[in-house]
Amino acid sequence: MSEVINTRTDDVKESRRDFLKNIGIAGAAALVASPVSVEASVGPANPDAEITVAESLQGHFVLMSDEEKEKAIERLEKRYTAKYGKKTTVSDVPAPEGVLFGYALNISKCIGCRRCVHACVQENNQSRNDPEIQWIQVMKIPKGNFSFSADKLYKGYPESGKLGDYGVQVGGNAYTPVGGLSTEETQNYYAANEMVPDKDYFYVPVQCQQCEKPPCVKACPVRATFRDPNGVVVIDYNWCIGCRMCQLACPYGARRFNWGEPNLPPAEMNPKTHYFGNRPRMRGVMEKCTFCLQRTREGRNPACLEACPVGARKFGNLLDPESDVRKILATKKVFRFKEEMSTYPKFFYFVG
Amino acid sequence: MIKKDNSRRAFFKKAAAVAGVVAAADYTRTLISSSSGSANNINEKYVGDVNTQDRIMSQKQLVLMTDNEKKLMLDELLDTYHKELA
Repeated sequence: MSEVINTRTDDVKESRRDFLKNIGIAGAAALVASPVSVEASVGPANPDAEITVAESLQGHFVLMSDEEKEKAIERLEKRYTAKYGKKTTVSDVPAPEGVLFGYALNISKCIGCRRCVHACVQENNQSRNDPEIQWIQVMKIPKGNFSFSADKLYKGYPESGKLGDYGVQVGGNAYTPVGGLSTEETQNYYAANEMVPDKDYFYVPVQCQQCEKPPCVKACPVRATFRDPNGVVVIDYNWCIGCRMCQLACPYGARRFNWGEPNLPPAEMNPKTHYFGNRPRMRGVMEKCTFCLQRTREGRNPACLEACPVGARKFGNLLDPESDVRKILATKKVFRFKEEMSTYPKFFYFVG
Repeated sequence: MIKKDNSRRAFFKKAAAVAGVVAAADYTRTLISSSSGSANNINEKYVGDVNTQDRIMSQKQLVLMTDNEKKLMLDELLDTYHKELA
């Protein structure tokens, strides 16, 4: 009897082994068949243009050794070159020392032509059609929304009295700012062929405000988005898990998600890219304005600034008192968002 | 007693099972990608994101900063930078 049981046990073991073997074969077959079926569904593709296993498994770029970074860059350059049919470079130029980038936009000069929007799309390899992903939105705001009374600007703050500078006065600026621009009745989708500027409107382009204390960075569960030493909030696209928490956290709605594979025609692809900047993104990752760090880290201006025909945009180093942005902060009428939430944006709007 | 079956019939059975698993996996993938991947669907989602931004921005108000506010803001920006540098 015991012999029979032993024999049965052996048979069962053998059968289980067979079962596992079959599962293994099925898994291997599925792995082999998968790329074949993908290729069959989208047509023959260059294998160099596909995301490799090594790329999928790579770590956070900041934590990589120099050797790993070199390999990661090499992989990306190979993939982009094969995919877009042009020699593509992926730079990893580090953030320059002693620089804190700031941006200022003159809303009394902006004419709403949206050249900045299109220059941004071209420079940063955004998806072109279905959908065209734009990082800059131009708000068209009725001029009636603007109110300003210079003589009341400093009212409502504590003033020196006979007893000294003690006590807090209320009123004036304390609760009701005397100058401001309401965004009520804003139109973002004015027609592309509309004549601009309309004399009854202000135009206010909105993009990532590069907050010094960014809520999006705090919200990211994997630290794929972080603030670089120049104060620019960047994303490691390969480390992003696409959870969209950062998008929910952004008080300006300035982040864009790649819901599908970006549609970037090879002829329109900008082959000069940066790892944290304008390199082509993939489906399921977040993207946003980086102040064109592929340019600014090399001492150039952002593409939107260069495209502006009226010089409404100014860019510079906030640590340098002689820079354009610092001079603007010192001498011009600068705005802040009323609902600022202590994020300390480094993108300023000004008039004058 | 369970005996190992090495017959041709068993081989075809296994082959059919493998093909079935692969086909099911591919079909599931196709279902998932088609449900979220059509151009119209993606466009709608993207427009939804932009509309959210419009809604957020249309509820904001830009207010003029006093010299003191500007100074405090700049001090905070520079302080944060220097603290992190240290």
